Amino acid sequence: MSTQPYGLIAMYDTPAAAMHAAEQVRDAGYKFWDVISPFPVHGMDRAMGMRRSRVPRISICGGLLGFTTGMSLIWWTGGYNYKLLVGGKPFFSPLFAFPVSYELTILFTAFATIIGMFVLNGLPMHYHPVMKHPTIHRGSDDAFFIVIETRDPRFNAANTRSLLEKTGGKEIAELES
Amino acid sequence: MSTHASSPSAPAPGKALLVGIAGIAVSLLGLFVHGAEKFATSWLIGMTFWVAVALGVLFLVMIHHIFDAGWSVMLRRQYEHWLSSFTWLALLFVPLLVIAWTHPTLLWSWMDPHYDLAAHGGHGTVGDDVLWSKKSGFLNRNFFTGFTLVSFAAWIGLAAIFRRNSFTQDGDGDAKWTLSSRKWAAGGIPLAAITLSGCIILWVKSTEYHWFSTMYAVWFFANCMRVGLSLGLILMVWLWCRGDFKGLLNDNHMHSIGQLMFAFTVFWAYVTFSQYFLIWNANVPEETFWYNIRETGDWFYVGMTLLFGHFFLPFLTLIHYPVKVNKKLMPYIAFFIASIVLLDICYNVMPSQKVASGDPLPFLQGGLIWTIAAVIGIGGICVWAYLRSFATTKLIPIRDPRIGECLTYHQGHAD
Repeated sequence: MSTQPYGLIAMYDTPAAAMHAAEQVRDAGYKFWDVISPFPVHGMDRAMGMRRSRVPRISICGGLLGFTTGMSLIWWTGGYNYKLLVGGKPFFSPLFAFPVSYELTILFTAFATIIGMFVLNGLPMHYHPVMKHPTIHRGSDDAFFIVIETRDPRFNAANTRSLLEKTGGKEIAELES
Repeated sequence: MSTHASSPSAPAPGKALLVGIAGIAVSLLGLFVHGAEKFATSWLIGMTFWVAVALGVLFLVMIHHIFDAGWSVMLRRQYEHWLSSFTWLALLFVPLLVIAWTHPTLLWSWMDPHYDLAAHGGHGTVGDDVLWSKKSGFLNRNFFTGFTLVSFAAWIGLAAIFRRNSFTQDGDGDAKWTLSSRKWAAGGIPLAAITLSGCIILWVKSTEYHWFSTMYAVWFFANCMRVGLSLGLILMVWLWCRGDFKGLLNDNHMHSIGQLMFAFTVFWAYVTFSQYFLIWNANVPEETFWYNIRETGDWFYVGMTLLFGHFFLPFLTLIHYPVKVNKKLMPYIAFFIASIVLLDICYNVMPSQKVASGDPLPFLQGGLIWTIAAVIGIGGICVWAYLRSFATTKLIPIRDPRIGECLTYHQGHAD
């Protein structure tokens, strides 16, 4: 059992307040922190200084793998391992291998995207320290929260608390891990 | 915001009209230098290209209405201005109707049942040709003329309705205009789809009337959409550079139109590959000859340019998010796509013309000048029509029910 708390949590009443607070936390240079909102807030990613997702890079790897799988499967079966003449066509041509390779490109891209998304966002997550916060249920109803984790290199119990106070955060509390 | 909503100072349309007239004059010169056949081919290519632009725009306006789209409201106004080009395109189509009724074999040998097929390696006349007589219910001059006239009437009518609804709404702000446009879009999409398909088959595909392809109209539709979207992007960035769209155009608008450009790049490739693949796989002489003649001479390289320039290059460029929101780079990509659409149309029209030996007319030949002149000339008239309309209304549809949604699209940051 670690004695260090998980982090500090602060509540905000409106999306605008949470967004402006997020901008200040971002500008203070924090890296390990998050915003909890009942609904997606447009522009929050920018306010949090988030970079674009890395999922597309995983997707393209899946796509290329799918395309190569399709092409090599058809070449290996029909053009190399068990040559069979069908309809006077060549043993292998990228033309007739294309539809299958194309389908596999899409299939593998979809797999890579879904798997990549779950790996990167850490879902499913059965436990999270904020769940113990007494008013966290309002985060799925009418309130907004910012959580700054203690593992952030800039975290300092007193300074971080005063930053959250300065941004207008209410009911600032420590979260046990 | 009030400064943006007032009528912008439009650039004078006179220059575009001059370019248009000059281009048409130069392409007419081709009539005397290289003969009627070169002129007819050039004019058909020019008309097909600019009708493709206008049809792509018409489809995008109707798609906007049918989906009750929010983000594209301010782009739609520019498209509505562009729709005014249909009237002029109908007028500019007259030379092709004159050709059809006086010298049809310049382009459409099937219009003359006495046309001797021996000239190009066949035998007998068109009238004896079973591949024509079985298709003659569709491929006859009266149907050609009637269908073309009905199509232009439909396009001009739809364009007038969408323009009236949108422009009137600027004044009274009544939501009924939006609902009317939605209903017209629901009927207009199938109408435009049928007329687009029939026209491209009659005008271009029938220049090789032996050929079969069920993908042809879809191929043309894909090109219409690609060139229509490219035009939309160019107009948006042009207005942003001029200052009209400063503070209105944000990254999310660029991202959305970029995504559509990307999607139709894939769609074009899918359709074009399907057409090639099905013909390759079935290996029926009445179909394969079309691609065979396009593998002779320099047409092989044109085909490769289409494969890489019309698909791979835009695909690999537009797939990146930073490219799609780059206002400096995207107009170049849009111009490039528009030029490749033109090349694609050349690839479909020109090889139907044969040189004395029976080989297809090469791509790089003197007559290409008249084609370029015709494209610039007809384009000048379209730009002139757009600019004339541009000056008459507000820059954006200020009382459209979704204009607020468009201006704050995903709360993007306009600059």
